[in-house]
Amino acid sequence: MASPGRGPAGRPPALLAVTGAAVGVAFTAPLLYLAWRTATGEEDLAALYTSPATLEPLRSSLVLATATALSAAVVGTGLAWLTTRTDLPLRRLWATLAALPLVFPSFVGALALTAALAPGGLLEGPLGLVGAEPRRPEGFWGAWLVLTLFTTPYVLLPVSARLAALPASLEESARLLGRRPAAVFRTVVLPQIRGAVAAGALLVFLYALSDFGVVVILRYDTLTRAIYTNRLLDRDRSVALGLLLAVLAVAVVAAERAAARRRVVEEGTRTRAGLQVPLGRWRWPALAAVAGWVVVALGGPLASLSLWAWRGLTGRGSVLARDRDGLADLAEPALNTAGIGVVTAVVAVAVLLPLAYLSVRYRARTGVLANGLVASGFALPGVVVALAVVFWTSQLPASWGLYQSYVMLVFAYVVHLGAQSLRATQVAVAAVPRRLDESARMLGAGRARRFATVDLPLMAPGLAAGGGLVLLSTMKELPITLLTAPIGFRTLTTRIWADVEAAFLAEAALGSIVLVALSGVLTWVLVVRRADRLA
Amino acid sequence: MAGCGNDDDGDDGGAGADEGGGTLTIYSGREEDLIGPLFEDFSEETGIEVEVRYGDSADLALLIDEEGDNSPADVFISQSPGAVGFLAEQGRLAEIDESVLEQVAEGDAAEDGTWVGLSGRVRTLVYNTDLVDPATLPDSVLDLTDEQYAGQVALAPTNASFQDFVTVLRVQLGEDEAQAWLDGMAAGDPPTFDGNTAIVEAVGRGEVPMGLVNHYYAARALAEDPDLPVANHFFPEGDYGSTLLVTAGAIIEGTDDADAAAQLLDFLLSEEAQTYFSQETFEYPLASGVEPPEGVPPFDEVPKTRVDLSELGGGLAATTEMIDASGLTR
Repeated sequence: MASPGRGPAGRPPALLAVTGAAVGVAFTAPLLYLAWRTATGEEDLAALYTSPATLEPLRSSLVLATATALSAAVVGTGLAWLTTRTDLPLRRLWATLAALPLVFPSFVGALALTAALAPGGLLEGPLGLVGAEPRRPEGFWGAWLVLTLFTTPYVLLPVSARLAALPASLEESARLLGRRPAAVFRTVVLPQIRGAVAAGALLVFLYALSDFGVVVILRYDTLTRAIYTNRLLDRDRSVALGLLLAVLAVAVVAAERAAARRRVVEEGTRTRAGLQVPLGRWRWPALAAVAGWVVVALGGPLASLSLWAWRGLTGRGSVLARDRDGLADLAEPALNTAGIGVVTAVVAVAVLLPLAYLSVRYRARTGVLANGLVASGFALPGVVVALAVVFWTSQLPASWGLYQSYVMLVFAYVVHLGAQSLRATQVAVAAVPRRLDESARMLGAGRARRFATVDLPLMAPGLAAGGGLVLLSTMKELPITLLTAPIGFRTLTTRIWADVEAAFLAEAALGSIVLVALSGVLTWVLVVRRADRLA
Repeated sequence: MAGCGNDDDGDDGGAGADEGGGTLTIYSGREEDLIGPLFEDFSEETGIEVEVRYGDSADLALLIDEEGDNSPADVFISQSPGAVGFLAEQGRLAEIDESVLEQVAEGDAAEDGTWVGLSGRVRTLVYNTDLVDPATLPDSVLDLTDEQYAGQVALAPTNASFQDFVTVLRVQLGEDEAQAWLDGMAAGDPPTFDGNTAIVEAVGRGEVPMGLVNHYYAARALAEDPDLPVANHFFPEGDYGSTLLVTAGAIIEGTDDADAAAQLLDFLLSEEAQTYFSQETFEYPLASGVEPPEGVPPFDEVPKTRVDLSELGGGLAATTEMIDASGLTR
């Protein structure tokens, strides 16, 4: 077992330190924008931050985010273990499918899922078979359920990546000693993946803080709802509440990081083929559980979407019947969606890698703060991040041509979504044994060569998982795309949104199905298969 | 797509770069499916190139304000008067030429000339024809607080159109009566949704028997699925339940394409465009003497009382406070 994080960390190379600092500064864009707007606004902060009208939604936000993080951590870890380390039938297929609920934009995903679960919905029959009454999800329980269904991939992907890189020897020994799978999991596997589970759960926590679509549809009053609904009516208040949310995110993440620094890092890396734990008589119940989860989280929304699409395709007066280009029209947005998603994912991983090295390899104290800053971009609603980037880009000379360019778009995406790859990237960096790097150095390999030949291959599954999360989130991103993309740049998500707004449910559904299919292919090719092969 | 780059005027926000046939940049809060064809027709007829950024009306208004003097936008098309009102308050809108303003009735344009109404939607009660006998539906939206409708009417309390409708109640009936109506609706613990599309879908599915929406959603749902059991119930004789809400067009202050911008608004009020609104998007035309679409109440049966819905300071904010106070948003 290597202990990568321990011992004298040494001073980071100057170039790395400077790059890390620059990245950290870039991520302050939303926070500084909110601070500036709050400072120049007229809101009485002391009164606002102590008023029940603020504290009550704040409490709701924290309760919802915590509950969702916990449930997603449990389910995500279970799914990850079953689909990577056991002889579950079709495990790689399930690994791909279980990651996909992440890609539903919440405005259409929550709409479709509630339509399926509600009375008269498509799940009424299946629910009736198990004796359950259909009920429209609402309030805290509804928001908690829907958010858990949609955010579990935030845990699933990094934990799967970590599991794929784990040495099998310990599990093997434990099993040979006669331990049951559950016991092996608890005593051997769990301690090794704690970092990845925490990383994923934190993302779920931040996502639940930032989400607006689900809580409005399910009628649960959170701080983000107040930020959103007041954005035009009482902008000073909305901005001051946004600042509160951002500071809260920085504090939570910095605290978690500070605690993690004190934990002894003890994570090994696998050197030969992975192990498959035989599930024995639990094989079929486990399959039923995994399939059941996928049916509700992915099948629920897809069932409603398919129904809507079917109506549109077959209806006599349907828009699609009138407009024969309906499907061909989706080709260009689909290409745009995949292209901008991959570019953003690669940029996010590349940009955050220096930060990960600083905080993991060199244990730089500033890493704690940088983590918080990166996270703050993710805890804020996309609209706020978009406006912040617009504000700062407007300060630059127009002759640079950056305004509403692809550069600005990707920058805004990375500021909003980069947090998703940071934690997976850190986990990946931590998994590279120090001694390998040291051996390579003694053999005379330069820094760049060591990075390319030693670190990168070992980190690949983790980086792919982090990049995969950014990819899926970028593909479903809406407000940043609408406000900062070059004019005329359309993604599947902007199309779907326009169709929902215009009440063309059939077209919205078709677009959503294409989005899910596209995400499935990309997740399979870039994340799941890669993790298996490269580990 | 053309227009992906940062070509010519607008983007630089600087002076100059304006001659006939330049590019007009439109920020549109109305969806591409509905209004895009009109922009294309305008471009064809006038030779003026247009590029359009589509988005949520409120978000686009915030964007224009954040861009300030550098805004690439020349024209802003808004779903509701609220967003244009916000921009007018921030001093971001230019005064529209009288020749354009006078094409619509008084009350369908801003008093200070900063925006002009382009089309109208009336509020209505959509109901499931399998579950509801239209004879049992009330003549006034105010009667929906009756016992028999408790919990039967879906609402979208965070939706701009619903808020505008409540504003009309508040201004016309006074705060107390409007609040009493909201409280009465909330007492039945009605299902709430985030928008009109979701309500019409839920009504069609039979989850909830009826819902308060804008009138054209049912028409669009029926266009997709003619067998969907939904229909509109229009509250008769000028009831507030049939309040007319307008979409608005405005010109951004400091645009270097003021003439082309005015030309566009003029075009959107022309007989051709107004007929398009009536026939293609099932909306009320506001100018050029075009008739409303079939199946909606004639003009003289929708309430004449127009309220300046663009008034945000203490206007819309007061409305949302009342909606929040009723508990409908929690």
